[in-house]
This record gives sequence, structure tokens and C-alpha cells, in this order.
Amino acid sequence: MSYFDWFREDRLPTIYCAGCGNGTVINCTLSAIDEVGWKREETVFVSGIGCSSRASGYIAADSLHTTHGRALAFATGVKLANPDLNIVVFTGDGDLAAIGGNHFIHACRRNIDLTVVCMNNQIYGMTGGQGSPTTPRGALSTTTPYGAAEQPFDLAELAIAAGANYVSRWTSYHVKELTKSVRAGLETPGFSMIEVMTQCPTNYGRRNKFKQVADQIEYMKTHAMLRKKYDTLLEKGEPIPEGAIVIGEFARRSRPAMGVRRAA
Amino acid sequence: MKLVIDEKRCKGCNLCTSVCPYRIFKPGKKPNKRGILVPELDRPERCANCRLQKLYGRTLCGMCQLTCPDQAIRWEEERPNERRKVAIEY
Repeated sequence: MSYFDWFREDRLPTIYCAGCGNGTVINCTLSAIDEVGWKREETVFVSGIGCSSRASGYIAADSLHTTHGRALAFATGVKLANPDLNIVVFTGDGDLAAIGGNHFIHACRRNIDLTVVCMNNQIYGMTGGQGSPTTPRGALSTTTPYGAAEQPFDLAELAIAAGANYVSRWTSYHVKELTKSVRAGLETPGFSMIEVMTQCPTNYGRRNKFKQVADQIEYMKTHAMLRKKYDTLLEKGEPIPEGAIVIGEFARRSRPAMGVRRAA
Repeated sequence: MKLVIDEKRCKGCNLCTSVCPYRIFKPGKKPNKRGILVPELDRPERCANCRLQKLYGRTLCGMCQLTCPDQAIRWEEERPNERRKVAIEY
């Protein structure tokens, strides 16, 4: 028994572009679910609209492919209607931070027992590469041809501030750590948010000096910085290298959660 | 166990070539029927998972399988007395 049994083999290969990180994130999430040992009939996958949100269609379990940005609203409904179900939400940065921003902070505030896997590719990949709220400052996209002028959202910090129980951020290069982190998120009662920085070679990479698929993976490998190191650098007042991606576990706490499974 | 790349699923992104600690995957040179350069295997018997998965009863490294965005890499049971290419290192 491996996590491959969770895939709908008839739907594979996925429609993702060559080298898209979303497939990697699906692998890691399903691997974690397989380790925890959830049953297929008790698991629901909810997703919104976007490249990342097509993930639920490739999984052989109950799934909801909902309207843009409202994945968390639907997931809240499912969880509160039947607290015995385990719910995983696949969502993207445009889905979670832009149009579903308020659903996101309020789901964090209510601390509903969901696991949110946010595949942050820093752009609207499906619609042709428009700038999203998480596009880094200076990055090129079709709507920011002279470089994005605004500061991006930090989704992990936003989730901590709004009150989520478990928050972490990894990249699609750190597959083993990501699997462990998703597992910790699944086992935490309350809202767990795992932000995954993924590569988008078609719409982000080719406009931002990552010509090859492996270039962006290499960038994540070299620029990833553990949270602990980031904190020590801040304490000492040393400069933080440009373009650093802070990764690691950001918050693990036990605030009162909503919709937790009834005891036996 | 034997390492297999599913040619029907592989899209030729070559991510496996950069993550394998043994450098078993090499970028492909010949396009297949669908025009995709599927990576070639360089002495796959060096793979820790191929050799020791049975002994330990779990997946050992599995980086390529987890990283592959198209779910194209898997391990298969070998048939008894299967022919294999042997390379002599010296």
C-alpha cells in the first residue's frame, strides 16, 4: 500500500505543465495522508479555482471543486455538517489570498479543524500570468510589465496573526520536510496552514530569469532559510540576504478549535 | 525491485536528474513517440531503494518518486531470472 493508490489512475497524467510543482505537492500531501492512515470514505478534498485546485480531481476520494476563493467556506460547511470527516483543502495563492482573503482570515479566527495546503506559485498561472497578491516586489508578470510595485502578502504570518493552530512554510524542493509538516498539520486539531512555495516554469519562471525548470528549484534550494537562522540574523541585526525564502515551522499551539471530531 | 519511468506520464521536466543523490537519472537525448525527452537511467541498481526496500520493508529514499510532478517514477517487482545489463567498473 503506497500513496499511489489514492490517485485516479485513469485521469493521469495531470494537465499541469512540464515541471510544475503542484504535482510534487500532491505527492507529498497524499504520502502524509497515507502515513496517518485516513480512510478514503472519511476524507474529503476541497479546492477552489486555479492550477493548484485541480488537484482534488486527481484523487480517488470525495472531493468538492468549488467557486473561486470559496474553498474554505465550503470546507467549513462540510466540517460543521459532519465533524467525523477529515478535510484537506488544496488552494492556490490567488484563491486564498486574493479573492478568498476574508474567508481565509475568518477560517483562521474560527480555528476550524481543516488542513489547508496552499500552493503558492506567486502568480496567476492558469489565466496567463497576471500578478497576484504574493508576487514579489520587482517580479515581472503580464499585469506588472515594469516589475511589481507592491509588497507581497506573507501568508504564513497572516495565518499566525489570525490565529491558526499550526502554520508552516516549505518549498517544493523540500519534499521530505513538507511531508512531515503536512502530517503534523493533519494531526493537529484546529486550523493548520501549510504554505508551499512552488515553481511555475511557464508563467512565472520564463518572465523572471528562470529559463529552465530546474533553475527555480535551484533558487529555492540556495535561497531557502530556516526560521531559526532568520530569527538569529534579526536579533544580531545582520542583513538578511535578498530574496531569502523563510521556511520552517512557524506556529504550533493549541487554541480551542471548532468542529473537532467527536470522542468515539 | 526495479526502477521504472512511465513514458506515458513523463513530461520531460528533468527534475529527477537534479534531486537523485546517486545521480541515476540522466537527461534524455532521444525523443520518444510523443516527442518528449524521457530521462535515461544510469546503472539503476545503485539506487538504495532498489536494493534494500525488501530488507527494510519501507521506502528508503524515494526523493525522485516524491518530487516527480507527473507520478511517472515507481518501483516494480523483478521477474525471476530477468536479463539485466551489467557494467563493469574499473
